[in-house]
Amino acid sequence: MRDRVLILLLAIGLFLSAGLPLLAHHAFSATFDSKKPIKLTGTVTRIEWQNPHAWFYMDVKEANGSPTNWGMELGSPNLLIRAGWSRNSLKIGDGVSIEGFRAKDGTPTGNAQVVILTATGQRLFGASSAAPATR
Amino acid sequence: MKSVLASVAVLFILTSPLSAQWTKDTSRNIPRTRDGKPNLSAPVPKAPDGKPDLSGVWFHDIDPNGKPDGVEQMVFSQYFVNVAADMKMEEVPFQPWAKELFFERLKSDGRASPGTHCKPSGITVLNSVPVPHKIVQTPQLILILYEENTVFRQIFLDGHQPAKDAEPRYMGYSTGKWVGDTLVVETVGFNDKGWLDAMGHPHSDALRLTERIRRRDFGHLDIETIINDPKAYTKPITYTQKTTLMAEDDLLEYFCSDNEKDVQHFK
Repeated sequence: MRDRVLILLLAIGLFLSAGLPLLAHHAFSATFDSKKPIKLTGTVTRIEWQNPHAWFYMDVKEANGSPTNWGMELGSPNLLIRAGWSRNSLKIGDGVSIEGFRAKDGTPTGNAQVVILTATGQRLFGASSAAPATR
Repeated sequence: MKSVLASVAVLFILTSPLSAQWTKDTSRNIPRTRDGKPNLSAPVPKAPDGKPDLSGVWFHDIDPNGKPDGVEQMVFSQYFVNVAADMKMEEVPFQPWAKELFFERLKSDGRASPGTHCKPSGITVLNSVPVPHKIVQTPQLILILYEENTVFRQIFLDGHQPAKDAEPRYMGYSTGKWVGDTLVVETVGFNDKGWLDAMGHPHSDALRLTERIRRRDFGHLDIETIINDPKAYTKPITYTQKTTLMAEDDLLEYFCSDNEKDVQHFK
């Protein structure tokens, strides 16, 4: 029995070692659910350009017209700076669309893998290689 | 589509000039190629005392077989994820308690890792985490400044030794000596609170960490790491973390406790 448990654990370990979802600061899967992708469009209400993760908040209109304020996690500011962001890449009042994943705890929280500025279509983070953040 | 975006992101991160809040310093007196870029293949610079000069800002090399991962869409060093990446899981020479604790940490998605809670990450993680570190070399003392959590490390080459009853610490006590062109650093006096990597390989207070640091050429520095912890592992674990010079860049401030918000969302 003990051997069976051990083999099972080894299998889990091998699986995780092959695909352990990571952030530099914490395990992605401790907070977010990779099976819950989200796409949201809204208006930036607050920005926190601080380590270990930058966060921004956006009002997203629900079907009934009332806004829900979502918190979106990004990479660390240090990483974002080195990837072409500046602290002015995103400003309060900007319209944005995001693609990312929702937090496991069900709160209006997620992490954004792609941020697109509505006004210009500029794609921040990943695709900023094609259109560097110059604002 | 997502994989394409991730690939683009990683490609950009890896090929970007890594300019940052410090302006990119293109005036540094360093060897350059004909097109003006830093010549990372140039010979190893020498310190005034004739030793290889290890000074510089260094960034770990990523896993050559790695895939983009997580919101940061990065490819990590395999040793940041797993210090035993060079061996099969069943070959890791765990002591029984260490194996049990390791799998417990794995199953919990690393919720208790020191770094997640803004506590010190420890030397093996700091040497491989995707955040740069800076080596400052003098004949008697070498400093390593880790951007991750703005942590410093002192490596004494002047015979300075930790006290026999030295308080166990996250970073231990480091002393070094030159063996040919290799700086051999021995670190002892660890507490048992650290994780050796993101997966959660544990260590005990008996950990003795040996780092054999060698600058291969101007732009490349290797850290051969030997984890010798007989309380946790029946045999030493050895791996080599390769790093590359960020020739025109510098460190940034980083304080994890400034805005840690993930723990409240753990579920």
